[in-house]
Amino acid sequence: MSLRVAIDIGGTFTDLIAFDESSQEILQAKSLTTPSDPVDGLIDCIHKARLEPAAISSLIHGSTIAINTLIERRGANVGLIVTRGTRDAYTIGRGNRPEAYNIFFHRPRPLVPRHRTIEVQERMLASGEVREPLCVNSVRAACEVLAKEGVDAVAVCFLHSYANPEHERLAGEIIREALPDCYVSLSHEILREYREYERISTSAVNSYIGPRVAGYVRNLQTRLDGLKFAGDLAIMQSNGGVMTPAAAFRRPVMMMESGPVGGIIAAAQVGMALGFRDVVSFDMGGTTAKASLVREGEAAMAEGYYVGGAASGHPVMVSVVDVVEVGAGGGSIAWIDDVGALKVGPRSAGADPGPIAYRRGGQEPTITDANVILGRIGASDFLGGEMHLNRDGAIAGMLDRVGKALDMDAATAARSVVQIAIAKMALAVREVSVERGYDPRDFAMVASGGAGPLHAVAIARELFIPTVVIPRFPSHFSALGMLMADERHDFVRTFYCELPEADFAKLLATYEDMVAESNRMLTPGIAAAYQAFLDLRYIGQEFTLPVPVTPEQLAAGDRSAVRKAFDALHEHRFAHHAEDEPVEIINIRLVATGRRPKLALRSPATGGAATPKEIRQVYFDDGGPAVDCPVYRRDDLPGGTELPGPALISEYGSTTVLFPGDRLTVAATGELLISVGRA
Amino acid sequence: MAQKPDPVTLEVVRNALPAIANEMAADLHRTSYNMMIYEVRDFCTALIAPDGALISQNVGGVSHFVADLGVIIEDGMKRYGRDGFQPGDVIITNHQAVAGQHLNNVVIYTPYFFEGELLMFSIVRAHWIDIGGVSTGFGGGPSVRDAWMEGLQLDQLKIHEAGKVNEVLLKVIRDNIRFPDASLGDMRSQIAACRLAFRRLDELFQKFGRGTMLSAITQIFDETEARCRKVVSAIPDGVYEAESFLDNDGILQGDRVRIHAKVTVDGGKMIIDLSGCSGERKAAINSRTFAGARVAYKALTAPLDPVNEGAFRAAEVIIPEGNIMMARFPAPMASWSTVIPTVVDTILTALAPAMKDGIPAAHHGLLGGAVVFFGVNPKTRKRFVVQSIEGGGWGGRPYEDGESGSVSICQGDVRNGSIESIELRSPVLVEERSLRRDSGGAGRFRGGLGIDIRVRNFVEGRWNLHRPSRIDCPPWGVWNGRPGGTADYLLRVPGEKEFRSMNASQYPVPADSEVIVRTGGGGGWGDPLERDPERVREDVTEEMVSAEKALNDYAVVLDGDRVDEAATRQLRKSRGNAGAVKAGAVKK
Repeated sequence: MSLRVAIDIGGTFTDLIAFDESSQEILQAKSLTTPSDPVDGLIDCIHKARLEPAAISSLIHGSTIAINTLIERRGANVGLIVTRGTRDAYTIGRGNRPEAYNIFFHRPRPLVPRHRTIEVQERMLASGEVREPLCVNSVRAACEVLAKEGVDAVAVCFLHSYANPEHERLAGEIIREALPDCYVSLSHEILREYREYERISTSAVNSYIGPRVAGYVRNLQTRLDGLKFAGDLAIMQSNGGVMTPAAAFRRPVMMMESGPVGGIIAAAQVGMALGFRDVVSFDMGGTTAKASLVREGEAAMAEGYYVGGAASGHPVMVSVVDVVEVGAGGGSIAWIDDVGALKVGPRSAGADPGPIAYRRGGQEPTITDANVILGRIGASDFLGGEMHLNRDGAIAGMLDRVGKALDMDAATAARSVVQIAIAKMALAVREVSVERGYDPRDFAMVASGGAGPLHAVAIARELFIPTVVIPRFPSHFSALGMLMADERHDFVRTFYCELPEADFAKLLATYEDMVAESNRMLTPGIAAAYQAFLDLRYIGQEFTLPVPVTPEQLAAGDRSAVRKAFDALHEHRFAHHAEDEPVEIINIRLVATGRRPKLALRSPATGGAATPKEIRQVYFDDGGPAVDCPVYRRDDLPGGTELPGPALISEYGSTTVLFPGDRLTVAATGELLISVGRA
Repeated sequence: MAQKPDPVTLEVVRNALPAIANEMAADLHRTSYNMMIYEVRDFCTALIAPDGALISQNVGGVSHFVADLGVIIEDGMKRYGRDGFQPGDVIITNHQAVAGQHLNNVVIYTPYFFEGELLMFSIVRAHWIDIGGVSTGFGGGPSVRDAWMEGLQLDQLKIHEAGKVNEVLLKVIRDNIRFPDASLGDMRSQIAACRLAFRRLDELFQKFGRGTMLSAITQIFDETEARCRKVVSAIPDGVYEAESFLDNDGILQGDRVRIHAKVTVDGGKMIIDLSGCSGERKAAINSRTFAGARVAYKALTAPLDPVNEGAFRAAEVIIPEGNIMMARFPAPMASWSTVIPTVVDTILTALAPAMKDGIPAAHHGLLGGAVVFFGVNPKTRKRFVVQSIEGGGWGGRPYEDGESGSVSICQGDVRNGSIESIELRSPVLVEERSLRRDSGGAGRFRGGLGIDIRVRNFVEGRWNLHRPSRIDCPPWGVWNGRPGGTADYLLRVPGEKEFRSMNASQYPVPADSEVIVRTGGGGGWGDPLERDPERVREDVTEEMVSAEKALNDYAVVLDGDRVDEAATRQLRKSRGNAGAVKAGAVKK
């Protein structure tokens, strides 16, 4: 017996999903997260699923520990060592105030106070030449000060270390000798890209969360070893790949946004398997909805983001799956603002007290309550009937908080709440597609999360997306995606020069150096693939586009092919290009992927007719009264089934809504394929 | 006419209209060829009704562009008439008689038709890197005497007519500006952004219909107005005044530029009367703009909400013709926005007595410390320009210290140049960029700190070192808070020991000279003697405040790294009351 297991620790629940390679069965389990030692909850989950630890061949783990350590400000006491003259680079940042009219704006608060930020004597030039050698004694003196300050982690960021990291390396050796118990981050090991503020911030975050995350990973490994687990442990990263525990120890900052990415990886793979190479992944949970784009089977990436929002957040410039998030989830609260307009979210009733219908003391109507009122969520078959929902309470709450003010009956109010939420989420989907230059009509939408299948078809209709895919296990999709993830490491090196003058031999050498670095981080012996990109722009522009290049092109110095590819990409993204404008290289990037075995889920039965388990009164969007709507159990739908809307497909943890005019086909592999009717 | 839109339609339209303006902005921002657009975000995008009403505007970027495009559409409608526009028209304009800003700010707009009816205009104003005239960049600075010296004037011209490009006009523009490829590239981006809006507008109008859309827009304006009125009605009625000044206008030394604000609050309405400000000047710091008043009003009412016509309906702004901010053509406007940050602070300070918990002390008040050095790199024989905008300190707040090193109230998401990026592009070395200890005005809540950036030029070249206009009237404190430190430009050429203060344009220097661009701090809020001594000690530990200043301004006695509480109490007692507490501290 060989088990592949993914365990995702979230704020409320720890989710487990396991794939038995011999039987091709999927197993699921859920337990409460245990904040004091999250490993307890994880192990509890393994026991609850009755898994034999010794039978687990690989265990993939996603955790919010990295992001929570930062957000809750529970990280290390960090000291920062920088080039002379740059002590305040971290505080001053870029000097900007994204909230232009807010006279009470807050700039990001550095994780390291000024008195623990120490300048040393050294100076590198942009070319990588040494202007002033590193004064070893100034580093030792800095260590003495930091020792007195009782730091447990240090970050080092010198100017232009992306071009020549020698001073940082040397300083690192001295620090590790002088402060042997400290966690140390050297900026060039995290991020070899120019812009000192962003690199300082990323390195400081890495050191801030480093000791806690490293301790956590070590503890996890030890506890699993104690259970006779002998498989591979892999840690989920923000870039949609997994890494070894050793890599996680070095770059814990790569774990920060691992939460949402599992679902996107799964959406890409499910889409590819069904022949949809371009997919919008849409995931709607209890508090937020998230949209992201998959092109040619690859998730769209961003080269950095701001933890805590653009206005006051910490820049972390590492590769991360590009996700747009809006405050609309099942628990989002509907309310009337001070001039009488109806609003939905961003405040959420969360899991506690939750929607009114959950009977846990919630008083304010939520999107979930609206769906219960409309009959789209069945009061008696929620979570397979484990929880009986209070529809009357939801109606009373909706009338009291929304209907009265707007002179609406409960169904109209509920319909309005859902429609506003749909419009909001459609803007998020638009942001990752249309606003990035892609036409949603060329995409399929893969919807997941507990609330995703409820709303996906309506959102798709808003944006003219022709097809919606509801994958199997939509409410455990993120964990399932973790099982499908490959190992992945992203590297960047600034390589600033004009394209015609670029030294391609040096570019190739840099590429090979990055490949060697990636091989030190990948699991030994894994089947590896490498993809390089050059970040290019027209001279005068600021933003770059990553253009794929092959080592053969680098070896041949094929500048014109690179140039043509850039012009074409610029045309595609921005609808214009300029063949006569000179182009410059800013960075070279490498994505190293270690292939992990694919999942082969067993297909459901085929043949036989589908019979609804009940006929329910459901309100749709036409403004009319409730109509008779067949409700099917998903397990009762054999492959090849075709159904017209209106219909509801109910399963554990989720319900899919088909409106009149939509058509459903059940794929042979079990996914629901919905052809979206025009309004 | 259509009936009242339902709440869902209203909410969808409310979110969709600003999203269109933001999408236009994102498109322009990512494809522009000039750092004034991609780094300084010196542009705005909007949808405007034929009567000039602002339907939506992008969020972020430069704040002094708030709701300032309506006059251009009103003027265009007067010139061409409702029937004078057709699909495929693109109009270009920068003429100061109406646009009222420096000529670099070039406006492009296109009429939007739905089912044959002209319903609105999509419009983009963006700072071109050059517009001809005596010098590139910012229209030549305050010493430009008129619009003809400043550059090319374009007065509501159709550069495309019914889809056909006016090649003659294009050639005139191309031949009369210095970087035609960059600027005409930016113009292409502006036109593309305008057209992008049409696709989104078509979707909305087709879905909801003309009547419902127009009545939704009307109702959105009304609700925005109501929201602003509600905030203002919480301010006690009364007439509030404050005064400040700029040291000079950049030409006439010693001739102060008076700034005066009289703010009347009457129920939910606010009247901002700027009649007391200086008249128009011979120096090029004139403009035609409500920005000073509108930025202040927006900051007070709904700073985080999108802007539309309703956002300013309950505000009346009085600026008579001939005022420095309502200058008559051909008064020169090359440095048009110089006075605005000080005007905003003066309006806010006027209201301090009415809303003690809602008004901070003054900020550094300048459009940044501008780092500008240019020359030719002898290695590559190419021209280079070093440009960066450095922030300064903001005023102490009624409940916390002011922020340090941040761009002015007129600039939002404007970023400084990173040291590494500056050095990658140009033959200079940034020796330091640091916070200036003791530059934050003392107060119960301290002003934020200004910055020193010290740059060494490896090759000869020219520096812009214009003396800042807010030295005699430093960033003021309120409620007995002290003023913040002032800005300066300092130079040291090889062989000199000390830096000296400078006031010069395009000043030639030899290789290995060093320049310090210094920005001011924010004023303090409240009496420094009321500042928690523990906070003063922290400031000393963090080297934000010196031990001397802790003693002299805050009367805090330190014993090593501890506060000597008894000595501090005694010293504070002996200093006694600072006298009558007043809100503003500006009158001279």
